[in-house]
Order: sequence, then structure tokens, then C-alpha cells
Amino acid sequence: MIMPENLLCSKSHEYVSDNGNNTFTIGLTDYAVEQLGDIVFLELPEVGSEFKKGDTFATVESVKAASEIYMPVSGKIIETNEAAVETPEILNEDCFEKGWLVKIEPTGNLETEQADLLEYEDYKEELE
Amino acid sequence: MTKETFLHDKHIALGAKMVDFAGWSMPVQYTSIIEEHKTVREKVGLFDVSHMGEVFVSGKDAMEFLNKIVPQDITKLNYEKAVYCQLTNENGGLIDDLIIYKLGILEYLVICNASRIDEDLNWMVRNSKGFDVKIDNQSHNYSLLAVQGPNADELMRKLGLSTHQESFTIKPDKIAGIKVLVSRTGYTGEDGYEILVENKNSEYLWDKILEAGNEFGVKPIGLGARDTLRLEAALHLYGNDLDENTTPVEAGLSWSIPKDKKEYYNGKEVIEEQLKNGGRKKLVGLKMLDKSIARHEYEVYYKGEKTGVITSGAPSPMLGANIALAYVNNNDEICTGAIVQVMIREKLHDAEIVKRPFIQKRNKVKI
Repeated sequence: MIMPENLLCSKSHEYVSDNGNNTFTIGLTDYAVEQLGDIVFLELPEVGSEFKKGDTFATVESVKAASEIYMPVSGKIIETNEAAVETPEILNEDCFEKGWLVKIEPTGNLETEQADLLEYEDYKEELE
Repeated sequence: MTKETFLHDKHIALGAKMVDFAGWSMPVQYTSIIEEHKTVREKVGLFDVSHMGEVFVSGKDAMEFLNKIVPQDITKLNYEKAVYCQLTNENGGLIDDLIIYKLGILEYLVICNASRIDEDLNWMVRNSKGFDVKIDNQSHNYSLLAVQGPNADELMRKLGLSTHQESFTIKPDKIAGIKVLVSRTGYTGEDGYEILVENKNSEYLWDKILEAGNEFGVKPIGLGARDTLRLEAALHLYGNDLDENTTPVEAGLSWSIPKDKKEYYNGKEVIEEQLKNGGRKKLVGLKMLDKSIARHEYEVYYKGEKTGVITSGAPSPMLGANIALAYVNNNDEICTGAIVQVMIREKLHDAEIVKRPFIQKRNKVKI
């Protein structure tokens, strides 16, 4: 269960949710999907591929433009949300439970990599 | 500083998301681009397009002057009629695309793009040497509202529009007691009207249209849907599909150019030569054959070689496919039905060349 209060968010509007079993779920924040508007296309990486914190790992397109999505922490992709690739509009409906993007196993030093991520509440405050 | 139209407060109150467009703060969407798009195709939408430029051209030589700066034949433009035109430079390149209206014997109205108003005025003034003509930029005094969609005519009738109008005509009229100029034109491929109103009355008119249009399903529509609507109708956007290095012939606008215009106009030699032999490049419509979306400036390939570039691309809400406009080399093989590739994030994606417009336009209204 992805609870906003348990999320860490990046300045580029990705969230990381700790699944508790050394895996993490990554997605786009509700603010991000609202800003994008109607999401019409999503491209996710292959399971097994690895990315460093800050790497582009996916692309999301709204009606108007394509945007890159960056890794909030380093990790290896262990699962991708195929339902979101098939029907990207579910990101607009629910970017947490239904519209998450990938699950990863972290490959970096989480403590240092999470240092610049914000707790959801602080992230929301920062946006105001 | 970003400019605001006189309807800015209305957009904010309606919850619009505002973006910068050509130096103006404009509503890009109120609810959803796709929803707004469908509203215009199925019912009727109201747009604030007050950022567009209005230039009044009058004087003894007004007709001769305009006739020199566009390839179209302004001597044949009748009273209260409109014509789609291009402002061309000496090489036939496009400075802007325009609609010119004849308002009186010696008076014309030129509607131009917000992003080009400075260039247009500079060019007009430079070309006015030797003509007895007054070029009067009134862009800052007028608001422009567009009412577009299959229910637009009924909505206007409810507002008490007094005369029936054909497409591409303009008439002075009164709506809810205020003076307006009503033109049956638009930028969506649908039937509709564009209403020129003094700034001081624009909020009042905006509210009146939304009120009267309620029973016809009217919704305010942002620039996001305006862009997807015009793309489905294959109408050009200056800066994307048109620029100073592109001629009207290359832009697929030969249909708008008379072949028998006697008088000189800027770029005539190049344009007449290209009307016979074609340009260096040509505009084509593309339909992506997978789920990818071609965007402005993506490269286009044919048989493994680069042949051109995407100028506009987006999903088509009505077709359920992704469409684009592109310039390709003027090669006869690259024609309707041919398959080209678009480079998207370092991968080639197949696209089919299809006829323009992508949808059936419904904007021709005759009485």
C-alpha cells in the first residue's frame, strides 16, 4: 500500500515508496501528473536494467509534450507497471496505487541518496 | 513582462492552467485538453484569442498596398469578405500567415499571429513607402473571442445575431447591446465565429456567451485543445509549420494562391517558379503506426536517409492515433501511402503518409 505520508519525493517530482522488503516503488507525484494534464503515452525500461540516481529511466507524454522521468535513487528494475503502459491515463486517476511506474532493488547508498529527497508533506509545502 | 488579456481574471476564476504563449499569459486548459477538444468537435467551445494582432489598413492606396505584400489577389476581395493570406518576403519566405477582411471601400482589417505582430508591422511599414496608406495597430484595444463547434450557429442565434453569414465573411453587429465585428472563421476545422470586441466589453461578452451557450453545451477551451484541433484540421501554426525559410508552395498552401495575379507581390518570382516545378521541400501529414508520438523538430527518414523534420505532432483525440505534420524532400516517392520513419529518443518508428486534413472539416457554410 502506497501511503503519501510514507513517501520521499524528488525536486523533479518522482516519489519513492519503501515496500519494506528491500524493494521500492517509484512513481510520479500527484502534483506532477496534475501539471502534465492528460497523460497519453508512457515508456518504461526493461526489467533487469540498472540506473544511477538522476538517470533518465522513463518517458511520459501528455497531449502537449514529452517529459523525461529521473531515478530518485539508484536501482535495478525488478518490475514495471504494464497496465500503466497499456492505459497511461490511469496515472491521472491514481498515481500511487494504480499508476506507479517501476519497482526497484536499490543499488546505491540509500542514506546518502535520500538526503536530497523530501518527505511528502515538506514536498507539498515547498510547492506552495 | 508577460501580457494579460482583458479576460485574464475570468480564466483564473474558471480554474485555468495558465502558460506563457508568445509573451502572453494564456489559458492552456481549464479541465482537460482531450475533453475540451471533444467539446468543440461535438458541441461548442469558447476561446479567448485576444493575443492575436489586429491591424487596420486604410487610405487611398490600401488595396494596392495589401496586394503588394501578399500573393493573394486583394483587388478581387469584396466588401465584408475575408481571405486567408500569407505575408511573404522577397524570397517567397513566410513572415506570417494572416486573414485579411475588407471592411469598407478603403478599409481593411488584418488579423495576424501574436508571435509575429512586431515583424509584421515592421515589414508593412517598410513596404508602405510610396503608398498613401495608414497602418493602424489596434491589437491593444481589441479582444477576440472564438465560438467554435457544430452548435456555434445556434448559440449565436440565441445571442440575437441579426444576419445570416457565409463562411469567410465579416459583419458589424450587436450582441447583447454591444458593438462587435462578427466573422465566420476559425482555427478548428469546425463551423464557428470569431468576434472582435472592444476590450472594455470583453468580459461582459464572455459571460453572455457562456450563459447563452449553456443549453448547447458550451465550455471554455484553452490553447492546448486549440492546438490539437487545428492539427487535426491540418491548419498551420506559425513558428512550428511556417517560417521565413519556407514558401507558401512548400507549406502546401498553393491552393490559396491565384495563378493569374498580374500585379507584382513580394516573392512573386520564386513562388511562380515553385507553383510550376514545386519547392525544395513539401509538407506532408503523418500517422504514426505505433503508440509513439512525433514532436516538433524530430527527424524524419525515408529508406534509411534523413529526408526531413516534424513540425507539429500530437495525439488526435478523434482518430485515436498520433498524427503529425512534417517537411520532407520534394521526392515523388514520398507520397500518400508511403512509409517513413520518425526518430524518437534514438529509435526509428514507422509512420504512414496520409492525406491532409486528418479529419473531415465542417467549416464551409454557404447560404
